[in-house]
Amino acid sequence: MHQVADVEVAKNIMDANKRLADKNLKNLEEKDIFCVDFVGAIGSGKTTLVEEIIDNTDYKIGVLAGDVISKFDAGRIEKHNVPVVGLNTGKECHLDAHLVGHGLEDLPLDDLDMVIIENVGNLICPVDFDLGSHLRIVVVSVTEGDDTVEKHPIIFQTSDVVVINKVDLASAVGADADKMVADAQRLNPNIKVIKSSLKEGTGLDEIIKVIEEAMN
Amino acid sequence: MHELSMAQGIINAVLETAQANNATDVNEVTVEVGRLAMINPEQLEFILEVLIENTIMEDAKIIFEEIPVEMDCNDCDFHGDAILDDSDHYAPLVKCPECGSLSVEILNGKDIVVKNIVIEKPDD
Ligand SMILES: Nc1nc2c(ncn2[C@@H]2O[C@H](COP(=O)(O)OP(=O)(O)OP(=O)(O)O)[C@@H](O)[C@H]2O)c(=O)[nH]1
Ligand SMILES: [Mg+2]
Ligand SMILES: [Zn+2]
Ligand SMILES: [Zn+2]
Ligand SMILES: [Zn+2]
Ligand SMILES: [Zn+2]
Repeated sequence: MHQVADVEVAKNIMDANKRLADKNLKNLEEKDIFCVDFVGAIGSGKTTLVEEIIDNTDYKIGVLAGDVISKFDAGRIEKHNVPVVGLNTGKECHLDAHLVGHGLEDLPLDDLDMVIIENVGNLICPVDFDLGSHLRIVVVSVTEGDDTVEKHPIIFQTSDVVVINKVDLASAVGADADKMVADAQRLNPNIKVIKSSLKEGTGLDEIIKVIEEAMN
Repeated sequence: MHELSMAQGIINAVLETAQANNATDVNEVTVEVGRLAMINPEQLEFILEVLIENTIMEDAKIIFEEIPVEMDCNDCDFHGDAILDDSDHYAPLVKCPECGSLSVEILNGKDIVVKNIVIEKPDD
């Protein structure tokens, strides 16, 4: 005969990621490194923004560049003469704290004062995965359509800064950048919103200023 | 979506506990899913059903329970379960139930917890 028993499991599947994110943050703080992670839509300008920050500041920056299967973004960033590690997520649609932890092992942390993480282009999945950064910046662009912000509320409710990029193309694609600004502020009254055209060089100073404010 | 890795995590947790308790069969699994977890329970269930074939949890009934979203309001003193406005989103807006503010600290609601299992095991 068999007996039937009710057994407690109480296992939180998300704990493993949280623990590793805390470990990454501790590891970075021990070395006095500030860490920003960029999430955002596919093609919104995340890599361009990383490149511009490298070229327009004096920080000693290392980069973790997430990509589903390629190393294209890592290759672009390498040309700016900073240490970069490409992280392939394979079948997953987001970086997690475990991959970032291994990426940090491969950066020369003793020579850095800032680590920038570029997540995989995705406005949904990264919400579930803290990486251990100090600041999360979400990058969208007007070419995704000006309803992009209101369609993905949680990533805006859980990020610190939103960059609305490619405003130079707004009229060409019939998008209202100010509607996106208003949507982001309504969803998260504490979020900083910056409009930019990385192509024309607008907004970059403000983005750098926000990162510097968060460092202090 | 990352239902696949979540499903694998759930199955590992179930099978580990089942084995530690000498189970021969798992009849029931209860999983709590935070209302803000970016997974779709229906897709999760589908993947689970595929992955549990030929394991001792093959015939288990999988029960999903929702975990509410706990929050602190920045505009009033409210602390507790948020109101979720999901009128046009699967992933809802998080609002203060006292003052309606969207300026909130989200304390939890993203977790996926294997709560308990009902197993069969040989008599001692
Ligand atoms: N017109 C215009 N084009 C831009 C702007 N910023 C970036 N781009 C272009 O948009 C394209 C995509 O930019 P990336 O920086 O590769 O975007 P990404 O977010 O890193 O893309 P993924 O990593 O593939 O998701 C490139 O061709 C950039 O030159 C901008 O402000 N205006
Ligand atoms: Mg990129
Ligand atoms: Zn590992
Ligand atoms: Zn996904
Ligand atoms: Zn995912
Ligand atoms: Zn309130």
